[in-house]
Amino acid sequence: MTHWLTRIRNRLRAFTNLPSVDRDLDDEVMAHLEASAAEYEAAGLSRKAALDAARRDFGAVTQVMEECREVQRTPWLANIGRDGVFAWRLLKRSPGFAIAAVVTLALGLGANTAIYSVIRGVLLRPSPLGSFDRIVMLWETDRTSGTTHEPASVPDFLDYKARARTIDALAALMATEVNLTRPTADPERLLTLRASHEMLPMLGVSTVAGRGFLEQEDKPGASTIVLISQSLARRLFASPEAAVGRTLRLDEQPCAIVGVVPDTTDFGVLQILSTAAYSRSFADRGQAAHVDVWMPLQPNPETLPRTTHPIFVLGRLAPGATPAAAQAETSSIAADLEREFPVNRGRGANVELLSDVIFDPVRPTLYLLAAAVVVVLLIACVNVANLQLARGATRTQEVAIRSALGAGKARLFGQFMTESLVLTYIAAAAGVALAYASMKGLLALAPADVPRVSLVSLDGSVLGAALIMAAVVALTFGVLPALQARRVDLVTTLKDDGGGKGTAGPERKRVRGALVVAELAAAVMLLSGAGLLIRSFWNLQHVAPGFQPQGVLKAEYQLPAARYPANMRAWPNFPEHHAFARAVLARAAALPGVTNVAIAGNHPLDPGFTNSFRIIGREAEGASWPEISVRAVSPGYLQTVRLPLLRGRTLTDADSTGAAPVALINQTAAERFFAGRDPIGAQIRFWGIPRTIVGIVGNERIQGLSAPPPIAAYVSIFQAPSVTGAGVLLVRTSADPIALSNAVRGMFRDQDPLLAIFGIESLEQALSRSISQRRFAMLLVTAFAGVALLMAAIGVYGVFNYDVAVRRRELSIRLALGAARGSIVRLVVNHALVLIALALAIGVSAAFGFTTFLSSLLFGVEARDPVTMFGVAALLAVIGLLASALPAWRASRVDPSRTLRALD
Amino acid sequence: MKPIDLVQGTLDLLILKSIGGESLHGWAIARRIRQLSREVLQVQQGSLYPALHRLEDQGLIKATWGVSEQNRRAKFYSLTKAGQKRLDKEAAQWHRLASAITMVVSSA
Repeated sequence: MTHWLTRIRNRLRAFTNLPSVDRDLDDEVMAHLEASAAEYEAAGLSRKAALDAARRDFGAVTQVMEECREVQRTPWLANIGRDGVFAWRLLKRSPGFAIAAVVTLALGLGANTAIYSVIRGVLLRPSPLGSFDRIVMLWETDRTSGTTHEPASVPDFLDYKARARTIDALAALMATEVNLTRPTADPERLLTLRASHEMLPMLGVSTVAGRGFLEQEDKPGASTIVLISQSLARRLFASPEAAVGRTLRLDEQPCAIVGVVPDTTDFGVLQILSTAAYSRSFADRGQAAHVDVWMPLQPNPETLPRTTHPIFVLGRLAPGATPAAAQAETSSIAADLEREFPVNRGRGANVELLSDVIFDPVRPTLYLLAAAVVVVLLIACVNVANLQLARGATRTQEVAIRSALGAGKARLFGQFMTESLVLTYIAAAAGVALAYASMKGLLALAPADVPRVSLVSLDGSVLGAALIMAAVVALTFGVLPALQARRVDLVTTLKDDGGGKGTAGPERKRVRGALVVAELAAAVMLLSGAGLLIRSFWNLQHVAPGFQPQGVLKAEYQLPAARYPANMRAWPNFPEHHAFARAVLARAAALPGVTNVAIAGNHPLDPGFTNSFRIIGREAEGASWPEISVRAVSPGYLQTVRLPLLRGRTLTDADSTGAAPVALINQTAAERFFAGRDPIGAQIRFWGIPRTIVGIVGNERIQGLSAPPPIAAYVSIFQAPSVTGAGVLLVRTSADPIALSNAVRGMFRDQDPLLAIFGIESLEQALSRSISQRRFAMLLVTAFAGVALLMAAIGVYGVFNYDVAVRRRELSIRLALGAARGSIVRLVVNHALVLIALALAIGVSAAFGFTTFLSSLLFGVEARDPVTMFGVAALLAVIGLLASALPAWRASRVDPSRTLRALD
Repeated sequence: MKPIDLVQGTLDLLILKSIGGESLHGWAIARRIRQLSREVLQVQQGSLYPALHRLEDQGLIKATWGVSEQNRRAKFYSLTKAGQKRLDKEAAQWHRLASAITMVVSSA
């Protein structure tokens, strides 16, 4: 046992204290030589002759010492230290190579570190919800409209809760917003969830202070109590504890705060809302939305009957139950409900894991980015391996000398690997710095609806991953040059005078050719992906939205029922609502630079709600028709958003609350339901009221640019005011709409100082945000593809430059013998052509595999789009040819006689 | 008679044996082997020192610094307990091997 200690001590000493070990060895050898010389002297030799003899007996002192050192140090520890120092010196001696390699690797490693930190922050971080893995979403489906992600009705929720066995807890939530009014500050808008009392215990969330909802507080008519988020509690009351027991004025009603929940409690809510077939999503608020208020849902089947579908149902799988079992059971419950309640005809159930609902929308983008950065890193590795090989060729002399001095093959291999490691770790440090610097920009670019993107950071685990990645990288690009160094033929190398007379060995040339093919093929893959995404984005941007967003500002509000009563019996006669709308329209129209104003229930990029409808006289047909999007607008809407009137007339001020109800339908609806007939004059009935169709308007893409415009009907807000009081003011100006924001805000304040205004932005901004995830993917992949292309071009240039340099004697002889300069270029370029053709063949077939998993991110273009592929191939061929022709052209310019003389 | 080269693998045994009695420095070990073999066995310095370092590394011998007859700082090697055990084992093996080879070679 003790000898292990000696051994470790010796090695540590050898490692930490190199000079003293060398001195010990020196002393030991000197003692030997002195003793040996003393014996010779005793035999009668002179002192000098004796020392000579002793030295002769001893043999090659340095070699013996080196062998002793080998014994004393474990190669993996001390050699690395020594090699590390050596590698550092070597890199300092060839700064050009070092800088090229470090920059290349730093780009690759930095991109990987940044993307990995995003993936870790978004996908891999554990969920803040205790029972996350067992939580499912229970959607309703509708066979008539084909919807698979529809919120549920309250009676359906209560029935599922009573009947389901595979789901042992069910909770429902509804998203809304409330006005917070405080004596000392402007009214503000808070995102709010109405949640049933089962919600927090089911998710596994416990309150930070106070308590959660009690069952009796979740009954219709119970008094209004709220939970608030930790950050709101801190903002308003300094601490969560201080908030409990206080009262907030929400929608002008006093609400007692009974508890405070962690900020992460709203995890996934945005994704749930935007997955729904139709719903107002917080995501369109612009900044990363954050839920601040929780209220009891108080589900009331009386006011929310089976025909309305406003609530999102979450469930927890019973122990041992699988999502498939829950799907089977809820489907059979849905079938029972269909039999029991005629209004449920066509309705089914759809069970999805909550984690899929949250992460499925971002997975394709993140995986794509991960794949892209790995490809970039591979190209970086290939490039550096190529640089190393080129340098290795000029280092054969050094390698030969080192092996002549007794360095073993393993030792040489180790030395080359150490060099790669030193290089990689310098690059990794630079790469991490690069990732850190680019993080802010990356996250600013990231769409706000990516789950918890705000939590992404470069933490210890990301750094650890970067270190491991760097080690793998060093192995990847270092092993080839290291292997080649082991094959140096001592005799021929040492005989050569090192003047570069030799040609690149055929084997080395093959390896480098293969590397060129590999990096070009990888670049083709990435470029195809980028090409497809760019084309998709271009297509998307050139989709006509059906309205003109330029020059329009929107500002949203929700009238509180306390001062703007919505008496359902009097509907549509809501005098307070109508008076507010008229006053705001008049005030807004008077603002400087404003050309048109309108108020609508939803702005043109808000999908809003749909309703079932019938055409009077064709009720039987209507049973199989999908629901129609109903858009309540003020008469000026068409002119404000420049929605074209195709036929008939538009809505006017004469279509007032008391006048005969009228409606407009869009082109899609007219084509679908009135093929061969005249819709104008026909009557359409929804919300129980028949309305005469007076005009046909164009199609607005209210569900986003990538979705086809749905069927839609337009009615006057004065004939169909919003029951919830929600509305949006749209203002068209001849100047910059953003500049109007403050004036609009002030105008609302003058009208109603207690009303919170939110979502103030131009329609262009809203439109641009609706495609932000695609833009994010497109910009990043394009950037990575650009880096890849640049690296590949540099790689090709480097290889051919070296190739030409090595062959300059041969090329000069050809020139001297009368070869045309053009033929010299052709000689080199022909070789390049073969490599490029091979790379294109491999790259394009690989790209077919790579791009198919992009298909969910594409729009208006096939994953195997031949135009893109051809374009990429052409681009790469041109770049590859240029990168190889440049060195060839330079080689053909040299004066052969001078080259040949210089070489001799 | 000219000195003969060592049989492969016997150098360790010879070193262990030569320092069995007292601690010696490198040159003295070589001299001791030469003397004990009556000038027949010649240890190459090139193999002696690496072997010494290897044996030390294996914990079979240990080294202390002392002063040589020439007043030089020198490393003196002596047997460890493990080294003594190894010496006994290898010596026994050598005797068996040597007598076996003798039997074969001297048979008529």
